[in-house]
Amino acid sequence: MKLRAAVIVCLAGILQAQSVPVQEFVLDNGMKLLMVPRKGSPNIAAGWIARVGSVDERPGITGISHLFEHMMFKGTRVIGTRDIREDLAISAEMDRVKAELRREEQELARRLRLGEIADVNDPKVRSPRHQQLLADMDRLARRARDLIVKDEFDRIYTAAGASSMNAATSEDFTIYFINVPSNKLELWYWMESDRLLNPVFREFYTERDVVHEERRRSRDSTPTGRYIEQFEAMFWKSSPYGWPVIGWPSDLEAITREDATSYYAVHYAPNNLAACLVGDFEPERAVTLAKKYFGRLSRSPQQPEPVRTIEMQQYGEQRMTAYAETNPEVHIRYHTVADGHKDEPALLVMAYLLNDRTGRLYKSLVLDQQVANSAFAGQNGMKYEGYFELRGVAKPGRTPEQVEQALYAEIEKLRNEPVSDRELQKVKNQLSASNFRRLQSDFFLMFQLLIAESNRGWRTLNTDPPLLQAVTAADVRRVAGRYFSPTNRNVLILYTKRPSVSSASGGSR
Amino acid sequence: MRAALALLICVRALAQDGSIPENPRELKFAPLAYTPPRAADFRHKLANGAVAYLVEDHDLPLINIGVLIRTGAFLDPPGKRGLAQLTGSQIRAGGTRTRPPAVFDEEAAFLAAGLGSGIGDLEGNASLNCLSKDIDAGLALFADMLRNPGFAEDRLKLARNQMLQAMERRNDSTESIEAREFQRLLRGAHFSAMPVTKATLEAITRDDLIDFHRRYYCPANFIFAVSGDFRIADMLARLEKAFRDWPNRTEPIPPVPKPDFIPKPGVYVVDKRDVNQGRVRMGHLGVMITNPDHLALSVMNGVLGGSGFTSRITSRVRSDEGLAYDAGSSFNHGNFYEGTFSVHFQSKNPAVAQAIAIVKEEIEKIRSAPVSEEELKTEVNYVIESFPRRFATAAARASQFASDEYIKLPADYWQRYRERIAALTPADIQRVARQYLHPDRMVTLVVGNLEAIRQGNPDRPQFPFPSDFVQIPLPDPLTMVYPN
Repeated sequence: MKLRAAVIVCLAGILQAQSVPVQEFVLDNGMKLLMVPRKGSPNIAAGWIARVGSVDERPGITGISHLFEHMMFKGTRVIGTRDIREDLAISAEMDRVKAELRREEQELARRLRLGEIADVNDPKVRSPRHQQLLADMDRLARRARDLIVKDEFDRIYTAAGASSMNAATSEDFTIYFINVPSNKLELWYWMESDRLLNPVFREFYTERDVVHEERRRSRDSTPTGRYIEQFEAMFWKSSPYGWPVIGWPSDLEAITREDATSYYAVHYAPNNLAACLVGDFEPERAVTLAKKYFGRLSRSPQQPEPVRTIEMQQYGEQRMTAYAETNPEVHIRYHTVADGHKDEPALLVMAYLLNDRTGRLYKSLVLDQQVANSAFAGQNGMKYEGYFELRGVAKPGRTPEQVEQALYAEIEKLRNEPVSDRELQKVKNQLSASNFRRLQSDFFLMFQLLIAESNRGWRTLNTDPPLLQAVTAADVRRVAGRYFSPTNRNVLILYTKRPSVSSASGGSR
Repeated sequence: MRAALALLICVRALAQDGSIPENPRELKFAPLAYTPPRAADFRHKLANGAVAYLVEDHDLPLINIGVLIRTGAFLDPPGKRGLAQLTGSQIRAGGTRTRPPAVFDEEAAFLAAGLGSGIGDLEGNASLNCLSKDIDAGLALFADMLRNPGFAEDRLKLARNQMLQAMERRNDSTESIEAREFQRLLRGAHFSAMPVTKATLEAITRDDLIDFHRRYYCPANFIFAVSGDFRIADMLARLEKAFRDWPNRTEPIPPVPKPDFIPKPGVYVVDKRDVNQGRVRMGHLGVMITNPDHLALSVMNGVLGGSGFTSRITSRVRSDEGLAYDAGSSFNHGNFYEGTFSVHFQSKNPAVAQAIAIVKEEIEKIRSAPVSEEELKTEVNYVIESFPRRFATAAARASQFASDEYIKLPADYWQRYRERIAALTPADIQRVARQYLHPDRMVTLVVGNLEAIRQGNPDRPQFPFPSDFVQIPLPDPLTMVYPN
């Protein structure tokens, strides 16, 4: 056993708290375990991350990373079923029916293209065979349901007092997390290693419907969700960041269990995973249990390949205009740099200079010019690409175009005049206080460590803050001059659409 | 099956010397010994009459100071709905008597101190978070903000403007329509369902804010929750000094008005053409925390729909049928007047009727049959085993003590909490389900595309949408006058 303690020894108490003391252990299969023992409450924030997200998908299976995240709660060969053999047999039968259904759906899609039918979901356009297959699917789903021990994965954890169990999928990673009482550490190892070792993707087809509902809830049925999704798709030309994490609905409908299985084999191998514990536990025991439980996972012979496609340079400004049930607003995005790029610290400092109550946007656009009622800026560096965004909501009587021009003027100022020492110091004071605030919650710390680990390694949590403190006024001017050209930008203008209500109930005004 | 049993026995034996059991239920755990902290051990009374809970924690060089203030939007004078909310936000935004807003904000930003203030329906709050090395400057700003707010006219105008702009968007998102209309259906003309309108907002003057602050902001109305990197004696001295000579007002605060409204059961629909998902909320009035059954109700609700995937409504609407991403229920006990019971979900328009039918079935089921021992055990264990989370950090402890005092929770409440939960039986759960769940009083609100909802799912014709619904029109968002 090689326990490598990466504690950074520091002089003063204050400095010590600022860097995160992490103990790191790497299993033979390549899985990494990060540990931050902290006494206090009898609880452990526990999680693991897979270095896979929507950026690793391809057309046809968009949304699979997220759908897969849902499937990871459906149980294993032991958890979630009364009879695993029968369960698997029904699943195989469902896959066969689904494959046939896909052919029927493809035929309907063809007829839709030719204008022969108007709606693929209208039951009247289905063939008798199609109708039969749907009935078969229903029948199989009911049989499967009789074998299922409902949400047993959740039940076991819940009865053990574990809380906040959930998972999240982003463009770059998928993260699974929970709080367990400190006496239940071994339960966490058992459950998480079992779902990595023996996952069974049951309820695959009903879960897809759940994801469709999730999509309707977060995008289609909100005032601006669908427009922002299309703006994001427009922003990226070649990069796979262009499709949404939740996937295009047509792909969601078509993804098969086989797609999910082969996806799992490559991206959920231990060499593509990292785990993290923060809270009340003994590191020696955590390592012993990691070897015992996660040690059972075998390394994949197939190393996941980094994303190949690099975003093409943009040659002309792109604009999108839409009418939504919202205040008139403008979103402006520029292609900038990925997470960890040497210009990222200066871009982040630039966003800090623009934001908040004493930031330049509020002072200038909201208080002085009174052109906007709110405004925001942010640099978002993802694993392979990044962007800088500016947003503003027009004050009544002003237009989003006026806000747009006012935002450009603030970038111009940053390009032409150096920021004062005091203004820069104010931002650095905030950044340095946030280095402590981010350590207040065990759960949040576990999150940050795992996300950093899946990008450039957890140590960046300690090595990035000094880079921000080192940013100079000249650096800010340089990046403001480098990335903000008109040909590099994308603009979304949202105008207010009157709400559409039935004539019986009258208009809103 | 028999083979599996033999294997199980063998595994049980092996588990002692470190092999991996086949089922996680075979794992053995040391008991989790935990005694909740007693508020009295952390309680201090300041000379000015304020109460302060102080919890030391030296892990990080940070200090958090929170204050609960006995006030709330229930104190809005007639015709000036929105006064409490504006006062709360402007205490922070409007500078102080000696520091104009820009100066105050710059000082706070340079210190990297987080300062906040707000007033909700039933309480006011203010907070400071700063580095412990900056406590002198941070506390000076905080005390100045609380005691001498400047209510600068231009910031007030801006805030009013922002609120008006937000108001205009009241009918945009189905989520906000749902929250607003459900509250109206359950509370009628109670203050908690009264909207701010353009007229009430414009009737509010700077003098009103000054007066509202003067009436309710004084030490006797404060409960401090302080945590972080300090020594108790030192912090007490600082608080005494920062808020000294602040005279208390003797005028008593009027009690929170109790709702005097009986909701009219039925199905209500707000038609929103543009959305492909209907938002549904169904429920009725509930109980107060003083009702001895509130813990049994909370466990009953956990089994019914309040405990995520292990609860019945989530399991049936979401995982069985795939009809919703978010489906569940809550049985909130009120601290000042009776709370509400409600079920919520969002489903594609054509599936709304089917999901409503499932929810009704589950409510009927939990009333007519006892929950299983296993379901009860899962819920009870969860509540007991996750109990320490409530006091997980110094900040959580301090603010728990403060809010317990604010609502006058009995001193032994948390000490007895787990034993009261552990004593619950399936019969108790069924009794409270029968006594407090009222299918005949159910108010069902649907916000979505009415035409698609009424058409329903052609593949599930057995679930028609009720025909005797009441349609609620969208009001004018600035006057909140509803057509006819």
